[in-house]
Amino acid sequence: MTNLFIDIYALNEGAVTVVFGEEINLILAGKIRRFNETISRYPFPGMITTVAAYTSLTVFYDPVTLFGAGLPGLSNFDKITHYLKNLAIETNLDEVMPTKIVVPVCYGGTMGPDLDLVATAKKLTSAEIIEFHSSATYYVHMIGFVPGFAYLGGMNPELNMPRKTQPRAIVKAGSVGIAGAQTGIYSLDTPGGWQIIGRTPLRMFDAERQQPSLLQSGYEVVFKPVTMKEFEYLKAHNDEN
Amino acid sequence: MKIKVLKTGVLSTIQDLGRMSYLSEAIPQSGAMDSLSARVANKALGNQDDCATIEFTYGDAAIESKTDLLIAYAGSGSILTVNEETLPMERPLFIPAGNIILINHAVYGARIYLAIAGGWDVPLVMGSKSTYLPAGFGGYLGRVLKKGDLLNNAKQLSDVSLAFLKFLCGDRINYPKWSIAKRKMLPGHLYEIRIVPGREFGWFDAQSILDLLSAEFSVGAKSNRMGYQLGGAKMKRVRQQELLSTAICPGTVQVSGDGGMILLMADCQTTGGYPRIAQVALVDLPLCAQLRPGDTFRFIEISRQEAEDLAIRRERDLARLTRAVELKVEI
Repeated sequence: MTNLFIDIYALNEGAVTVVFGEEINLILAGKIRRFNETISRYPFPGMITTVAAYTSLTVFYDPVTLFGAGLPGLSNFDKITHYLKNLAIETNLDEVMPTKIVVPVCYGGTMGPDLDLVATAKKLTSAEIIEFHSSATYYVHMIGFVPGFAYLGGMNPELNMPRKTQPRAIVKAGSVGIAGAQTGIYSLDTPGGWQIIGRTPLRMFDAERQQPSLLQSGYEVVFKPVTMKEFEYLKAHNDEN
Repeated sequence: MKIKVLKTGVLSTIQDLGRMSYLSEAIPQSGAMDSLSARVANKALGNQDDCATIEFTYGDAAIESKTDLLIAYAGSGSILTVNEETLPMERPLFIPAGNIILINHAVYGARIYLAIAGGWDVPLVMGSKSTYLPAGFGGYLGRVLKKGDLLNNAKQLSDVSLAFLKFLCGDRINYPKWSIAKRKMLPGHLYEIRIVPGREFGWFDAQSILDLLSAEFSVGAKSNRMGYQLGGAKMKRVRQQELLSTAICPGTVQVSGDGGMILLMADCQTTGGYPRIAQVALVDLPLCAQLRPGDTFRFIEISRQEAEDLAIRRERDLARLTRAVELKVEI
């Protein structure tokens, strides 16, 4: 038995959630990333996909395929629990390095209408907000909310800022926002209440792309400030990247 | 085979059995809300279960056969008619070119599934033909069907479909005497929804749990393919701790900040941070799909093991059904 994860529970008849801990931190996130990598490399019969979250990894499977596969255990839940525990023991979990993505962001102005507001609230200059925001390395804890929306951890606590009291009816895709201790990038035009400080020209989500969501849980992200002109250029050349 | 949409109905979209492989990118499962009916409609034609169907919500639609058609439908909420003749469910239907098929509102239920031999021909998007309206992808141009739309079937037909076509074709509407008895696979009571206690079941007080398992709940007016707001008793929390977002799925019953319950359905988000008081048994999600705003129902508690057994038994029944339909050809 291993102490890699602390609990497993059934989400429904086709999914179990593996719990790794109870609070957000990078050690836990690293465990989840490595376990996710391992199980993707050694899937069990009927496994469909996984969904990583802050402290858990949910594994989806086809109940009939799993049931017929002859793994030890009387029920699917027993079979999967047994498999995952063994997987945690038998595999070397320390070798996978996260993928790093550089996200260009045009801060302020029409692209980041809340930048000045955040600066005022934090008693900092807009330039300092940009400096703080673009000098950290962020970690993608999970993709959720809408297709391709990444929840990023690792923001400088100086930038913590509550959501807007009145959410916007439409936040443009690519908008980079702050909500509490989190920062994130809107992947689609959606309603939203995050404080918008900039926008990336990258297409965060594209249903036609081989990998529709640019970011995946377990990735690292750094923001690189760009001018409006660079933004326009990059946006126009999106399809070539 | 080709149809033209003459009247679009309340909400008509292309759906198959959903998009399971991109949940990690927050792409919802989508797919037929009542997947059992969608599968039965496909099976009746000798199609694969995951062929694309049209999900008609509350009917009120009309289509025209631009060519001869081999179609089947299943579900509740609408009845198909041609020239005031009712077309029976759950069996192959041969419709000659030039007929107008009305999809009329019925007393019970919400959704029917119209299948065509070979399945409706729309592109695969991320491994599925299901429409996901909030992001505008999948199905027919990522949108609801509209008046004037022309839809074709995929040209590759199964041997069973070809045999039905050969047997039934002619210059009039034709169908066999047999039908699939989907009703036999369903529990006796359509307004009793079986649930397994959710991960945060223990976060609620005794009275709330009593209410959950004995009181009637109703489907709220603000209900759609993403989820149903449930009217009735509020669930009171005894544990107030914040819950970090984690995976959720269709059938998850969440409790929102005001104690109201939300039953998540096919288009639900992939992660959520509300406590999960219960999970609807997979086999009863098709019953939920047929509930309409205002309908009342009860929750019945079963164990995780019972839910799993039911799911596997349902799949065995469905596999047997495929064989039974094939046998209709051999006779």
